[in-house]
This record gives sequence, structure tokens and C-alpha cells, in this order.
Amino acid sequence: MKSGFLYFFFLISLTACSREEPLHHDQFLAFGTLIEISIYGLDDAAAQQASTAIEQDFQRMDRDWHAWHSSALTVLNTKLAQRQYISVDAALLDLIRRARELSLASDNLFDPALGQLFALWGFQRDEPAGPPPPPQKIQALLTALPIMANLHVTADSVQSDNPNLQLDFGAIAKGYAAQLAIEHLQRLGVHNAIVAAAGDLHVLGTHGTRPWHIGIRHPRAPGIIASVDLKSGESISTSGDYERYFSHQGKRYHHLLDPRTGYPAQGTAAVTVIANDGATADAAATALFIAGTHDWPRIAHAMSVDKVLLIDQHGTAHLSPAMAARLHFEIEPAPKRVVTAIP
Amino acid sequence: MQLTPTAEDHRIAWLAALAIVIHIAESALPSPLPGIKPGLANVVTVAVLVRYGWRTAAWVALLRVLVGSLLLGTFLSPTFILSAGGALSSIIMLGLARRLPGRGLGPIGYSALAAQAHMAGQFGLAYALFIPHIALLNLLPILMSAALLFGVLSGIIAATMLKGLATATPGSNAQLLH
Amino acid sequence: MSLTRADWIVLICLLAVQPWLYTHFWNGHSGVADHAVITALGQDTQELSLRHDQQINISGPLGDSLLEIQGGRLRFRDSPCHGKQCIHSGWLSHAGDFAACLPNRVSVTLVGAATRYDAVNY
Repeated sequence: MKSGFLYFFFLISLTACSREEPLHHDQFLAFGTLIEISIYGLDDAAAQQASTAIEQDFQRMDRDWHAWHSSALTVLNTKLAQRQYISVDAALLDLIRRARELSLASDNLFDPALGQLFALWGFQRDEPAGPPPPPQKIQALLTALPIMANLHVTADSVQSDNPNLQLDFGAIAKGYAAQLAIEHLQRLGVHNAIVAAAGDLHVLGTHGTRPWHIGIRHPRAPGIIASVDLKSGESISTSGDYERYFSHQGKRYHHLLDPRTGYPAQGTAAVTVIANDGATADAAATALFIAGTHDWPRIAHAMSVDKVLLIDQHGTAHLSPAMAARLHFEIEPAPKRVVTAIP
Repeated sequence: MQLTPTAEDHRIAWLAALAIVIHIAESALPSPLPGIKPGLANVVTVAVLVRYGWRTAAWVALLRVLVGSLLLGTFLSPTFILSAGGALSSIIMLGLARRLPGRGLGPIGYSALAAQAHMAGQFGLAYALFIPHIALLNLLPILMSAALLFGVLSGIIAATMLKGLATATPGSNAQLLH
Repeated sequence: MSLTRADWIVLICLLAVQPWLYTHFWNGHSGVADHAVITALGQDTQELSLRHDQQINISGPLGDSLLEIQGGRLRFRDSPCHGKQCIHSGWLSHAGDFAACLPNRVSVTLVGAATRYDAVNY
């Protein structure tokens, strides 16, 4: 009888086991998009605290680095035209440095010094709108193309040689911010998390016993084109012609402008890059989109990225070998694939 | 030829009535999934099995389901189908369990097996016929654990009931019938 | 109450099976749900967003079951069944939450993006 009751209590305790998986999810708006924070393995109160701290980080960075709302960056841009050394706070300076490194490595295809061109095209607005700018204005900018090499950076200040140089970090800020957020979460004692800012996402740890499983949006259809399991510390960025654009007289103009032509880059639908650094992944996704179907391996090599997916306008998927090994296509039939080694 | 009910017949009828009462009472209990019951009426099935053999137990169980559903007004409804399915599964399981070698099972062992079979049978029917939805599977482990618990409890109650029956009929064979 | 040797063996075996049931069938769900998947006998599966408050009738053999979506949660508000167990299930709010009206052959599960992918890069 005694053993009967032992079993009784054992079974009661089994059914009393908690069903809850410790996954905390939070969302907020920043950088013009929906930011999603997932934290695994922390009790709800601690996770909420950490999440709120990250939200504050994002709001601060959005405020300070906004390219067209009044911000520390717009103030800097106004002063840059005066060709003097301007002192800059440490956080913004770090962003400028990273952007400069990546821009030079990308052969200036990623060019955050081209704020004027973005403004000319109407992309420095909450809602991009046409019409496309007149060719003469575009040409004028291209003759003295502002590049990051025109910017000189010291320990605490910057100076510009080019009066047309205006900084716009749209192509790098979200990836960079996501990375900083993950690092902050780590300092707060979080071991497993995702910080996702739409096209830029950084992961830490795992989802319990399995890796974080990420879906990549199809550039031409609702739904997922491919998925990947990310390792702790990896960052994934996707740049697509569907993200920011306007239509004018039946033609679509997207926001990924080619500094060589002054017009939206042609031939590519979307690029996804996986790297261990958020800023790198974000900047590389932009640079490789512009590089296009033939030149992307060279630029990938120059920027030290080895996991690249490029989907061209015909729907063919171009992959690096390292990406091919990691990626799993989710559509039937799977797209035509071309695997190209990075030199 | 006259059919005269023996004392044993009376006792079996009484047990069947008890089973029906339990079945009806059980229908008032809430459950995680409509129609799925812990199968407390198995107490009677197992007691009858041990004392009177498998065929009588099968008869009592099916009678219980039929009469119970008629009285509840659920005859041929989904609830009835689940009840019948559960009863059939446990009866078949008990039939197989009877064939175990050696001294065999006691009421607690029979009851535990019958309860698991009862729940598995009900769940299988609910899943196949009514809600082929993958989320339902989440409930299965909990239902089976609860069924095991109820099975052990039912077995204890059945064993107590059997002791009572044995003392009420001195001289009758209170040993396990094979 | 004495247990025979066979009783012990059966009980130990059944207990040993229990953990397997949990690892095999139990997928603990939690997380934000953003839509509901409604299954009704003989009809195509419907997906409804939880973002907009609304009420919807799902017809079954017994009549119409009334579902209500409010504040990102869903519940059975009315149903033609006898026991009204579906209504007693209350509000569903997390991905994986589930309620059903068996007699009327209607079931609802909440699904979120989190159930398939942890996040989507877009």
C-alpha cells in the first residue's frame, strides 16, 4: 500500500511539472522599423528588465544617429561643410570609424558619405516618394563623389575635405546597433537571445537545446525562401529592393543606390550575409547588392565575408560555398543555384 | 424450463447497475477534452473480471456503456463513441492481460493496464475521428499519466470491493479465477 | 492489499513509459501568437489575425460556434454543444494554446511566427 502511495505522489509530481518554456519576447519601434527582442532562459522579470534596457539603447541610438530628423548626426553634417575639425562623442565616433573601414574595404560601394545623394532621391524621408531627381543633379554629385576617404578621423574629432560629404548610416546602423545590443545583453547576464531589427539580426547562445532558427524572407513573395541555424555570436543581414522604394510612372526605384551611376543598383533582388560582426554583415549586404551577380565574390573577399546569398532578378540564387553548406531552401521547387567560391 | 436467477446473477446485476451509476456520475466531471473521461467505472469492470471472469466483465462493461448513454441521452453521439472505444480498448487489454503466466495480475495491475488502454483508445478515436489536429498530441502524455493514476486508485478501490464481496459470500472462492 | 509480482512489473513498466510520452509528444509552447488557425470538419482551414478585434461564426454539424478575438486573445463565446466545455476553456493567448468543440467538430490553435522560426530576416 505504501508503495502505491509513493507511485501516487510520483505521478502527481509529473503532472505538476511546469510546461512553460522560458522564452521572453518583446517588440518596439526604432530606426523606422519593428525591433524584436527574444530572450531565452531568464525568468520573466529579469528578461523584461534586460529588454527594456535594450529598448532604451535603441531609442537613444536612433535619436543620435538619425539622418534627417534633428540629431547629433544632422548637426555634425551641417558643420562638416565648414571643413573644420569637429569634435564628436565616443559612440558616434566609433560608428564613423567602423563605417569608414567597411566602406574602404567595399571599394566604396557601401558609401555612407553619400547622404546628399540619398536626400536627392527622396530617401531621407519617412515615406520615400518620387519623382527621381534630374540627371544633371546626380551627375554633379558624381563628379566630386564624396567617399569616406574624404573624412579624416582623430581620437575625438572628424574633418571633411569634401563639401558635399554628408553622413548617412542607414546601411549600417541597424546591424551595428543590434551587435551593441547583444553585447549589452551579455553584460546584463543574458546568455541566449535574438536582437532582430527587420533586415539585421544578431543572435547569442541558443534556444534551449537547439540553435536559433532564422527564416529569410523571399524577395518576391510573402513567406520564407530559406532558413538557417545561426551559431552564437553570428549576425545575419538582408538587403532587398523591396525594403524602401517609390514608384514613378510605373517604374520602381529602390533605395540601394550605386555610387558609380547614382541610380538604384540593377540586377539584384536581395542579398543575405552572415558574419560574426553586425556592422560588417549590414554594410556587406548593401555593398554586395550593388556589386551584383558578377562582382560580388571580389567585394566579399575584400570585406572578409564568406557566407553570402545573392538572389538576382531572374530568381537564381548565387551562393558562396560556406553559405551553401549552412542554408536550407524552404521553397518548392528550390531556386536555380550557382555556387561561386570567394577568391 | 424456468430461468431462475442465482445469487451470483443478482450480484452481477447489482455490479452492472453500480457501473452505470459511476458512468453517469463521471459524465458530470470536467475534463481537459470534452468526452474524455478517467474511466472510474473500470473499478467495476476489474472487480467483475477478477471474481467472475473475462466474459462477464466484457458483458458488464458494454452494458454499462450502452445503458449509460441511453440514460444520458448521448447514445451514438461523439461522447458515446469515445465511451465505447475506451471500454472496448480496456476490455481487449484485460483479455490479453489474463493470459499472463504465473500467478497473474491482481486488481491493481489489471486496473492500471485497463486505464491506460481506456485512455489510449479514447484519445486515438478523438484524434482520428474528431480533431486531427497536431496540438492535441500535447495533451496525450498528461492524459495518460492521469489515467495511470486513476487506474491505480481504481485498482485499490476494486481490491477493497473484492474483499467486501468475499466476506459477504462465505465459502465462495475468493481466489483469482483463471 | 497485496500486489502480485506481475502487478509490480506492470506498474514499473507503465511508469517507465511515462517520460517517453512526454519527450515524444509534448512540445511546450509559449511565445507571442499573432494568428489563429481554425479547423472545422469539411471546411478549409482558416487563418485569422489576432490583431483585429472581431467575432466569427464557424458552422458545424450542430450549428454555429461563435469565436471571439479581443486584445490579441481568442475564446469560444458561444457554441451549440451540450457541455460547453469549449467555452469553459476560456481565453487562448499564447502560441500553441488550443481549444475545441468536439461535438461541433471545431478546433482552434494559436500560432505565432515563433512557432516555426525564432525570427525572420526581411
